[in-house]
Amino acid sequence: MKLGFSRRVLNWFKALIHSRRFSQSWMGKNLSMIQLMELDACTHCAMCTSRCSVAIAFEGIPNINILPSEKIASIKALASGRPIGERELRDILEGVYLCTNCYRCTVVCPVGIDLQNFWIKVRELLLQRGIPGLSVLSPFSFYRGLMKGETAQGDYEKPLIQAREAIAAQCDLMKKKDKVLPLTPTDRKFKSGLNLSAQAKNFSVCFGCQTCTTVCPVVGNYENPQEALGLLPHQIMHAAGLGLRDLAFGSNMLWDCLTCYRCQEQCPRGVSVTDVLYELKNLAVKYVKEKVL
Amino acid sequence: MKFALFLGCQIPVRLKQYETSSKAILERLGVGLVDIEEFNCCGYPLRNIEFKAFLFSSARNLALAEKKKLDVMTLCQCCYGTLKKADFLLKESASLRKEVNAILEREGLRYEGEVNVKHLLYVLHQEVGIEAIKKNITKTFKGLRIAAHYGCHALRPSQVVEFDNPVAPSIFDQLVEATGAESVPWPMRLECCGAPLWGINDELSMDLTLKKLNDGKESGAKYLCVACPYCHLQFDTVQKKIIAQRGVNHPLPSILYPQLLGLSLGIDREILGLKMNQIPSSGIEKLLIEPIVLPRG
Repeated sequence: MKLGFSRRVLNWFKALIHSRRFSQSWMGKNLSMIQLMELDACTHCAMCTSRCSVAIAFEGIPNINILPSEKIASIKALASGRPIGERELRDILEGVYLCTNCYRCTVVCPVGIDLQNFWIKVRELLLQRGIPGLSVLSPFSFYRGLMKGETAQGDYEKPLIQAREAIAAQCDLMKKKDKVLPLTPTDRKFKSGLNLSAQAKNFSVCFGCQTCTTVCPVVGNYENPQEALGLLPHQIMHAAGLGLRDLAFGSNMLWDCLTCYRCQEQCPRGVSVTDVLYELKNLAVKYVKEKVL
Repeated sequence: MKFALFLGCQIPVRLKQYETSSKAILERLGVGLVDIEEFNCCGYPLRNIEFKAFLFSSARNLALAEKKKLDVMTLCQCCYGTLKKADFLLKESASLRKEVNAILEREGLRYEGEVNVKHLLYVLHQEVGIEAIKKNITKTFKGLRIAAHYGCHALRPSQVVEFDNPVAPSIFDQLVEATGAESVPWPMRLECCGAPLWGINDELSMDLTLKKLNDGKESGAKYLCVACPYCHLQFDTVQKKIIAQRGVNHPLPSILYPQLLGLSLGIDREILGLKMNQIPSSGIEKLLIEPIVLPRG
């Protein structure tokens, strides 16, 4: 459903004139001339959204920037210099990050806007601005990893470090030097929150045999796993049972889990270890989002 | 035999050769495929972020297939594991099903649990069958030692995925051996490829990948064989980066199973897209031999 040639030429010409108003803003200065024109050429027809691979995620994560047609509108607002708060910036970042880089939006756009490249560009701009987002600690980062050579090493690492720091900042108990925990940190709300599905209700039957930790390839990769990873899988199951949110969220183990399901497969008590880790990550993402902004 | 082919997000843009080679071998073996354009992300990366977002994504795909009364075949093991997980959860919980269907009904969809999700390897082994594959083979490999990489999300959690024996699987080995190649035993064959952490913790991801590659080489394998886009991208594109960064002297090239089988079936190498693999795997063709035709009588 591409537009006719003459219509497209006309649109582009109009876009060229109009796009000059974008060139003063921070976002506008960082986009290419073509991209500024593309911003103006968007007719908000929502073809991209109708074909987007992750549009349905909007039903679970109520952030309108997940939808490509709304993302591009937000970016247009950013480029036109409208003052935008930190919270909105974070939402735009989440929107551009929750993208599988499948290029379907670019393929279907009737005006020929390379939308996928917009997401990639804006993602990097916002990350470098220091907007925190835990989405970078998910497999949505795989493609960013494949394109690693295109970003300077420091710029590449920065958002990953920032995300871990954003979690650590919310996990005070992890910072206790004497490692003696108060007896009453049980957060019942946290514990009862681990029931998104039947998959992760069973952490409390863990009897501490450490099989999960023994078979974990990530644990096995380190000489001193606790130093690198914080709590190990069996300890995270305990932390969940005791309601020690900070210890569960703040352990690198949670974010360095491969989800290879070795632990869950081997658990003699039938604890869904990997699924519990998945749910803990879900809760942490929500918790940090609420706390930070 | 007819399936809705679930390609996922990686294959159409980053691993076209997996699509073309799979379609070619399946056509040769008489497996019918239907493309459903409306399919979306399986939900795999969303599982780390938000449970419901993952479930809705997965369920929408299942509902689309159910509407067409088709079973789903995936080429990706992460898609496979995710769709199986969602299917399992939805069959288990009526309340989740209700919630999901309330969302799906807005676009005229429903999921009642009628769809079977199968992975390419399972279809080839269980539905096409080793004997039928062998009958179609025109050339066999001789002296080719392959390390078959099973992939985590196909094998585990076994209660959910029901792919093969999770501790001692054999279907991939049998499929590799059907081409005449030798499937070598290697201690780390059931370990993770490292891809889930690529982009998140690259050093750790590289450590794990490198261990597997070294184990495969030490076990005498000349090639890795995989059936998942994430595993292949990790063993191919990422291995190239590992070689550069960690000073590894020689690679262990990865070949996709339909490429391996396709060579044996005599399918055009352009369609199999061997050249599109980043680490050259074309040397494998030298090990193909024409069958010896015995005189009648």
